[in-house]
Amino acid sequence: MNLKLNKKSITILIISILAVLVPIVVKDSYIRHLFIVSYIYGIVVVSWDISLGFCGILNFAHMAFFGIGVYGCGILVKTFNVDPAIAILLSGIIAAVAAAILSAPIIRLKGIYVILVTFSFGQLLLQLVYSQVNITGGALGMVKIPNLEIAGYSFIKDYKFGYYYISLLFLAISILFVEVLGKSPFGKSLKAIRDNEDYAVSRGVSLAKQRFLSLIASSIFTGVAGGFYAVYFRVASPEVFSFNPMTLAMSMILIGGVGTVWGPVMAAIGITFANEVLAGIKGLEEVRFIFVAVLMLMVMKFSPGGLYSLVGKIPIKKISNLFRGKEVNG
Amino acid sequence: MEIVVITIVSGLVLGALYALMASGLSLIWTALGVFNYSHGPLMAFGAVVTWTVIEKLGFSLLPAAVIGIVAAALIGAIVERFLVRSFYGNRDLLLLSCMTTLTSMIIIEKGIQIIWGSRLKLLPRIIGGEINVFGAVISAHEGLIIIISPLILLFLWRFMASTQTGRSMRAVGQNQEMAHLIGINVPKTYLLVFAISTGLAGLSGVLLGGIRFVLPTMGAEPLLKAMTVIIFGGLGSLGATTGAAFILGMLEAILVQFVGMYWTPSILFLLLIVVLIFRPTGLFGSK
Amino acid sequence: MSYLLDVKDIVAGYGAVTILRGVSIHLDKKESIGLFGPNGHGKTTLLHAISGLIKPRQGHVYFNEVDLSSVKPYKIVKMGLVHSPQGNTLFSAMGVGEILELSAFTKRAKENKTRNFEKVYTLFPRLAERKKQLAKTLSGGERQMLSIAAALMCSPEVLMLDEPTLGLSPLLKEEVCNAIAGIKATGIPLLIVEQDVGFLLSLVDRLYLIEQGEVVREMDKSNKLAHREIMDIYFGKVE
Repeated sequence: MNLKLNKKSITILIISILAVLVPIVVKDSYIRHLFIVSYIYGIVVVSWDISLGFCGILNFAHMAFFGIGVYGCGILVKTFNVDPAIAILLSGIIAAVAAAILSAPIIRLKGIYVILVTFSFGQLLLQLVYSQVNITGGALGMVKIPNLEIAGYSFIKDYKFGYYYISLLFLAISILFVEVLGKSPFGKSLKAIRDNEDYAVSRGVSLAKQRFLSLIASSIFTGVAGGFYAVYFRVASPEVFSFNPMTLAMSMILIGGVGTVWGPVMAAIGITFANEVLAGIKGLEEVRFIFVAVLMLMVMKFSPGGLYSLVGKIPIKKISNLFRGKEVNG
Repeated sequence: MEIVVITIVSGLVLGALYALMASGLSLIWTALGVFNYSHGPLMAFGAVVTWTVIEKLGFSLLPAAVIGIVAAALIGAIVERFLVRSFYGNRDLLLLSCMTTLTSMIIIEKGIQIIWGSRLKLLPRIIGGEINVFGAVISAHEGLIIIISPLILLFLWRFMASTQTGRSMRAVGQNQEMAHLIGINVPKTYLLVFAISTGLAGLSGVLLGGIRFVLPTMGAEPLLKAMTVIIFGGLGSLGATTGAAFILGMLEAILVQFVGMYWTPSILFLLLIVVLIFRPTGLFGSK
Repeated sequence: MSYLLDVKDIVAGYGAVTILRGVSIHLDKKESIGLFGPNGHGKTTLLHAISGLIKPRQGHVYFNEVDLSSVKPYKIVKMGLVHSPQGNTLFSAMGVGEILELSAFTKRAKENKTRNFEKVYTLFPRLAERKKQLAKTLSGGERQMLSIAAALMCSPEVLMLDEPTLGLSPLLKEEVCNAIAGIKATGIPLLIVEQDVGFLLSLVDRLYLIEQGEVVREMDKSNKLAHREIMDIYFGKVE
């Protein structure tokens, strides 16, 4: 047990160091941009794990909370002239409030109803965004959202240097949040609900309360990610409520492994890059979503635990023995 | 007085459409415990295939529609056979099947967009002209929908209640093991359920194509409406779904008339939530 | 020597667990057999393996000399080998008459439908009185009868019954026993799994005792010594 912890910790440490060093090695604005986008998705999918993965709630409204974060931030900045930095943090709270409002009626429902209602919620928001043109800018969205600037330092300077580290920081915080939550008594109660509802109830776990809390916890950083997205891209468009981001996020959490923390993060980075590469190839702009979808289907069919579940099966000892010239036994 | 008649008639048309759309979804849910997201784009698929047969092969509406419906049923069968089937018996069937059908939805919708393009198309109506119903003027096509839909639903109901095949479809959803043991070919039954359901989706698409534009995304909003119908009515019986569809159609017609199109979806959603709070299994729900 | 039903060296289980460790039994044309033994030792699993619900890891099942390996359950029913499972879960949202009607699903069942309906309603008058009643509102005993009746509607050449009297009161047990005797009287060979050995002895000609996933004794009823032995094993006293 001790040994396992160390191996994982070392890997995490190495990855973290690499991540911090990236801007030193990579000066290209576009590649840094890709990292930033993957970090944003990373925050979103890791947070999704709290409600979908740990608690087993069939939460299809998650991307809607992301969108609420985006538009919340946009409205705060453009309509109310709030400083972008504060607006980003407030977006998390807005998303959490929205989650609280949506969750209240649905926590007692059976699985299939939760799916339908949460899904409908997202679609409803899309319609609202299109129709309330005065507030949201309708189909064109809100543009020219100001850049992030704190105490005179503009984050976009030096080829998005600041943005890179801020997004990495947010990602790190959210990963920490989810990991700690997962190992806490609260997290354990969520997993108990997922694994055996009746037993959890008989042991005194309040189904409704825990589900409520998990949905809120799920939405906080998602909202922040949304706010950051709005400021970074300087645009809030209805696109965020469409199926494209949802497909990507779903693929990341599925391929990474629902319920695991690092799987979806790695998948977020991998898929974002793959997605961009495919987008660059002429003629494949629309087809790439089909590729992603097909990939998802294959993973679901052959490795429903996501690719992360295969990690444990990599025979590391055997491989290292091979390198050392030892015999490869059992 | 005229407004009332117009509202009622619109409500009937909407209700008839929604009932047809929701019936297929309800069928799959009852028999398999699976929610088929690809139902939406399959409506578009039925419409678009029909359009192609009319435009490129010169067929008339009826035979073209049959081909469109069969095409939709075939895709549904493929989705069942190769995607959903592997998850039966899995503890996470609901989540996995939702993700699978959601993914198929994306593939089919994008596929239609790539193959047929996003430009608007129109399907011919069953009959042209308009009719006058107690002072409200609607297209004859819409009038026919009001008649056709209940007929089809009636036929479906009789099929499910009185034929061995229909009964076997209900049986596999209630007790799969027992179904095997009385000689029912369970996998074939599942396939049939999917095919019939998606065929219904194709039919809805063809009928819808006469009123609205044929687009790759034309199935998205109807799917949402069908989902709302199912939540409203509660899953489990065709009667509940049909009843809920007409109630929803009426409500929508009334709201659109008096509150306007922009706020109607939000109010309907709110109503839905209210219903679910007091009756967590829908208005007529049982399970 | 060809038996009607020949089960040879079946090794089977669920997932990683092996329950049957090489079981062989057989059923001849004019006889009925019984399986008894402690709970959880493989009797139900054996029936599942025979009717095709689970695939044996090793061994073969022959019915009318046809190898049933890889034959789908519905085809096995079509051939006339019918399994009435334990637990009478049935189709809760359907009515009695409807379930019986549905059970005449295969071709051979359809051909004999009218005759089987008569048989069923004669053997189980309670069901005749409740044709429209929903299965889930029936009492435990009535559900059990319906379960057996449904199996009859499949027009079996061999009928396998899994714990037909489980959870029934003595009065109902006797009713079911009489009904099963009635079925036997129409010439259908039976394979009955039962806890109640006394019950078995009144209906079958040979018994298999199954423990730990193996056949440990095969006993012929006509052998009086075997009878005593069985009773002693199970009750520690003479009944």
